[in-house]
Amino acid sequence: MNDEFENQLRRALRPVDAPEGFAERLMKRLPEREQPVIAVLPVKPRRRARQFGLPAALAASLLAAVLLGQQFATWQEGREMAEGLAAKQELLQALRVTSQKLDLAYEAVNSPSREDVEENRS
Amino acid sequence: MISRFPALIGFLAMLLLAAAASAQTRALPKGQLLLPEFAALADKASESVTVSLEPSLLGMACRFLSADDPEEAQAKKLCTSLRGIYVRHYTFEKDYAYPKAEIDRVRRQLSAPGWNRIVEARSKKENTDVDVFVLIEGEKAQGLSIIASEPREFTIVNIVGSIDLEQLHQLEGQFGVPELDIESGRKATAADKPPVKK
Repeated sequence: MNDEFENQLRRALRPVDAPEGFAERLMKRLPEREQPVIAVLPVKPRRRARQFGLPAALAASLLAAVLLGQQFATWQEGREMAEGLAAKQELLQALRVTSQKLDLAYEAVNSPSREDVEENRS
Repeated sequence: MISRFPALIGFLAMLLLAAAASAQTRALPKGQLLLPEFAALADKASESVTVSLEPSLLGMACRFLSADDPEEAQAKKLCTSLRGIYVRHYTFEKDYAYPKAEIDRVRRQLSAPGWNRIVEARSKKENTDVDVFVLIEGEKAQGLSIIASEPREFTIVNIVGSIDLEQLHQLEGQFGVPELDIESGRKATAADKPPVKK
């Protein structure tokens, strides 16, 4: 009984050659593989950037600083001029008021009709 | 702990107030008066002049004065030795629209040692009061204050610094009333002013 079963198995599992043209047909059915794309990136000129990049940035910063400084100086000069002129006008106005009041005092003290003026000079 | 909190806050507030008051007193140079701002009066007044020239601003103003203009040249000579000029001048449409108490408060500051009243003029006819005070130190005037009040006008002038009274007298000629034009561009006209002759 066992021998019979073993024989049947051997017969069923014996190596069988593939039919003619099997490999070609199988390869044809497989989807075609995409060709890998090889990108060629441009090579940066690293040495040039290293050579000139930093000095250029420094020069640009320096120029910007000088221009900004000049702008600030001009603005400050204008502001000081405006403040100075306004202060001058205030000063002249203050002196005019002072002069007017001193004149009033002078007039009161030296008025010929002094009946209505009580004067006290120390 | 919680009951002590308001007391602590009160104590801190008092300390802050005291510090602020002492700083204000200390900050005032000799000859300078503590002038009220009269901010509310500026709205009521038909004309107002408020000048507060601190030393730095005064120095700047002096630098901008021209030596060619006789008026400015005179002012330039005078202002180089000054440390501050403060003016409050208001004109009103109604009589006595200004707070006399505020003026009296300023007047009281002039009773401090050093201040001497050199002119006290009272005109009953025109209801005009003019007081001129000078702060004398050594033999030099270190401050000048003028308090002038009329029914519709009051003026407080406080000049701080070494003042040459002779120069100030010369200034009268330069800034004399006949040439006065402080009303230009303002509401009041020259007719509002009391007539003053030289």
